[in-house]
Amino acid sequence: MNLKDMFKKTSGRSHYISLRNSRPEVPTGLLRKCNKCGAAIIAEDVKNGYYICPKCHGYFRVHAYRRIEMIADEGSFEEWDKEMDFVNPLDFKGYEDKINHLKERTKLNEAVVTGKVMINGNPAVVGVCDGRFMMASMGWIVGEKITRAVERATEEKLPVIIFTCSGGARMQEGIVSLMQMAKTSAALKKHSDAGQLYVSVLTDPTTGGVTASFAMLGDIILAEPKALIGFAGPRVIEQTIGQKLPKGFQRSEFLLDHGFVDRIVEREELKDVLAQILEMHHSADAAKVKEVLKDAAKQNADEEKETVKEQIKSSLDAWERVQISRKKDRPVGTDYIDALFTDFMEFHGDRYFKDDHAIVGGIAYFHGIPVTVIAQAKGKTTKENLDRNFSMPSPDGYRKALRLMKQAEKFGRPVICFVDTPGAFCGLEAEERGQGEAIARNLFELSGLKVPVLSVVIGEGGSGGALAMAVADEVWMLENAVYSVLSPEGFASILWKDSKRASEAAEVMKLTAGDLKRLGIIEQVIPEPEEFTDENMEGVCGDLDGRIAAFLENYTEYSADELTARRYDRFRKM
Amino acid sequence: MIGKVLIANRGEIAVRIIRACREMGIETVAVYSEADRDALHTQLADEAVCIGPAPSSESYLNMQNIISATLISGADAIHPGFGFLSENSRFAELCEQCSITFIGPKSQVIQSLGNKSEARNTMINAGVPVIPGSKDPIYDAEEGAKIAAEIGYPVIVKAALGGGGKGMRVAQTPEEFENSFNTAQKEAQMAFGDNTMYIEHFVQHPRHIEFQILADEHGNVIHLGERDCSIQRNHQKMIEESPSIALTPELREKMGEAAVKAAKAAHYTNAGTIEFLLEKNNNFYFMEMNTRIQVEHPVTEWVTGIDLVKEQIRIADGKPLSYKQEDVHITGHAIECRINAENPAKNFRPSPGTITDMYLPGGKGVRIDSAIYSGYTVPPYYDSMLAKLIVHAKNRNEAIRKMRSALGEVIIEGIDTNVDYQYEILNHPDFISGNIDIEFIENLG
Repeated sequence: MNLKDMFKKTSGRSHYISLRNSRPEVPTGLLRKCNKCGAAIIAEDVKNGYYICPKCHGYFRVHAYRRIEMIADEGSFEEWDKEMDFVNPLDFKGYEDKINHLKERTKLNEAVVTGKVMINGNPAVVGVCDGRFMMASMGWIVGEKITRAVERATEEKLPVIIFTCSGGARMQEGIVSLMQMAKTSAALKKHSDAGQLYVSVLTDPTTGGVTASFAMLGDIILAEPKALIGFAGPRVIEQTIGQKLPKGFQRSEFLLDHGFVDRIVEREELKDVLAQILEMHHSADAAKVKEVLKDAAKQNADEEKETVKEQIKSSLDAWERVQISRKKDRPVGTDYIDALFTDFMEFHGDRYFKDDHAIVGGIAYFHGIPVTVIAQAKGKTTKENLDRNFSMPSPDGYRKALRLMKQAEKFGRPVICFVDTPGAFCGLEAEERGQGEAIARNLFELSGLKVPVLSVVIGEGGSGGALAMAVADEVWMLENAVYSVLSPEGFASILWKDSKRASEAAEVMKLTAGDLKRLGIIEQVIPEPEEFTDENMEGVCGDLDGRIAAFLENYTEYSADELTARRYDRFRKM
Repeated sequence: MIGKVLIANRGEIAVRIIRACREMGIETVAVYSEADRDALHTQLADEAVCIGPAPSSESYLNMQNIISATLISGADAIHPGFGFLSENSRFAELCEQCSITFIGPKSQVIQSLGNKSEARNTMINAGVPVIPGSKDPIYDAEEGAKIAAEIGYPVIVKAALGGGGKGMRVAQTPEEFENSFNTAQKEAQMAFGDNTMYIEHFVQHPRHIEFQILADEHGNVIHLGERDCSIQRNHQKMIEESPSIALTPELREKMGEAAVKAAKAAHYTNAGTIEFLLEKNNNFYFMEMNTRIQVEHPVTEWVTGIDLVKEQIRIADGKPLSYKQEDVHITGHAIECRINAENPAKNFRPSPGTITDMYLPGGKGVRIDSAIYSGYTVPPYYDSMLAKLIVHAKNRNEAIRKMRSALGEVIIEGIDTNVDYQYEILNHPDFISGNIDIEFIENLG
């Protein structure tokens, strides 16, 4: 009912004007308008809330010193090269005035702040770009400060973390600006060759010459949500190609999908994630590692023998085992990662084209020892399986695996692979991007990897797609896993032109764990309970835990040369 | 001079404030959520501004939008009503920063009184009685017994990390103490992994007695007598009356003085309420101070003849109180029943929906504060209170009879209400005789 027009309003004044001395008004700085959602927000809430809009959760750009406060232990920041003298290599007119004006307004010396911090007690060298200073474009001083910081980190054996944000090269410094890309990259190469860790954190916006140099060179590349990251800016691209760019183009999420970012990290958890990464890269005490592994290996050795005898079932035929290996409720790669390791931190992308979800990889702790874990991952539901492409990796997946293996090699971490694939993905795009090349490259590189590599076939070991993750020091199989040159169906249809004879093929192919052990293709068979699902994994995982500990105890003894020589011999005999 | 007020609330209190403003010749601005387009307050005010979607977090609790609405409409002041932002010190502070008069106490005062331990200390220092308790943690029964004796029996032993009644035991006498303490401590250790205990005086079968305060910005503080709000369910008051049958004139004076002392100690301004627990032996203890207008303010208005909302606006405008303590006289007896859209048979489940038909009582000594009308749809997003029925008569018995008669006339069709439940309480012998405490509803079962 509309009462509004029926009520007689008693108030006489309709154009009230306040006559008070202090007219209501919002003092400057109290409220701000979110430049993303347009909502009015209280400035103090933003300040106390990691500079994130409380309404739309959009990220505001952060001043360099605020950023350092957010990640550094209180009072731990020690600034380096704070005062740098102005340079004007091209004698560009008006440049000095502009810089002086910015210095005054921002209280910054230049567009980057560098120094040393502690992050949850872990020392690191940091560089933080500040977009308020000429859009953090890279001139000589920016390049020089970053280079000096990286050089000093190399000298002092410290990891480097750089928060990037930049419009690109500094036009006023011309070709000298361009050279900073080479200079900073060269410094990072030396730092990397010295075995040190570099983490880049991409923030909004990271473009141009900074993207094409130190931003993209991190051993680990993190990004803030929805940050613009690209080489050419979106406006330039649109003008050049005369097309409208799709929504989300060049945002962090886009880069993650395309394999260039390891992980998108929310600001609230950034400090803890960085601290964990730093901790995982501390050089381990060899004697202590040995002791831990010995204990873990011993603990399981006693229980193990009985369970093995009890559980080995010889009565199943090969075809039955093939079917068990493909069962829907069988534990998948990610189940093993959860059960055997702690603090798994997943990293994404091949740095070329895509993040292939058929392969999951990252760093985790095994009894407190950092290891690189890579698994071919089937899904548990149809939706998950579609996302993971039924664990049939694309070339991008193998390239991601290789990237993580090379990273493990750099930091001396053992690699543990879980193999479970019907085969490498068979499709148009896979061929376009070089499926054969990707698999070959993995065989080639893995044979010479200077850290221990263990592969466990947990389900289906389908041909080259499996081998690309199984050029290892030892290959083990679950009792009902299979490993073969081709699926029994494929074998039957090629040899006998009848895929229905798959069960017959399975028998003659010698693809069971027992057969392969006898053939000397694999080293160990892990017994399974009768009905093996993710509900009753403890037995198998307890067993695996002891065996992996023993493997690592054994293989960490070898030098890099011994390791690769042994691995060479292992395959040379076959 | 306040010439235009924005009412940052909804429902009957918004209507109540609009009415007061109009009588004072002050223009009104209502704010409303998308669910309240047809609400009475939206239609009754001189202007109305939509401040967001239905959920209160996005509308009636959205500080920025309310501040913006105030500036756009050119209002000088905000009346926060009760609930929502009324006791939010952050909001009061924002108003202060924006030179908007917040009709209520200063933000600093809201904050200090909102902090339980700070408020307790303020009261102890001002000599206002609080529930006696141990200051330091206690770990063994022997030490506890000494402190219990100082505090006075009965006592309650509480786990420092306690909650949900676990690790809590009452000891009526010193003989029981050791056993109670040890049982509670054991329970605490089991439930919370911690055996730190506190001891407090156990307040038995108390009444909820609150005193209405008015304080101006010139240091004048008066009290307007008490309200007995013992009839409550899950800490939600259902019936309030003034004066309380439990207070003698001497006790009223004593408690009133304590209330004034409490308000002065907190540097309080505007209308506020001091809540006490009153024991059968007439000991009373400060619980907390409500820094806003209360739902049950009409009972005080009726027995004192003072319009509390108008006084609030006058005080906020910097004017001295219109009354001195000696001008305040309690006349007759007033009772208020809250009429809620809820179903008592289904565990008081809220019952939103459209009111198809409606008849509300009237006559001498009957007042209805409500925001409902025939055809109004009660939205599901907010508090379920539909109306307040208040009666005033010469004495308590007459007031009870008047309330029964008025409740009998209330007709609200289309949704469930608690009218029949209220009617039953009004007929309960213990209520009639005034033999009530805060467990009354619980004991009804």
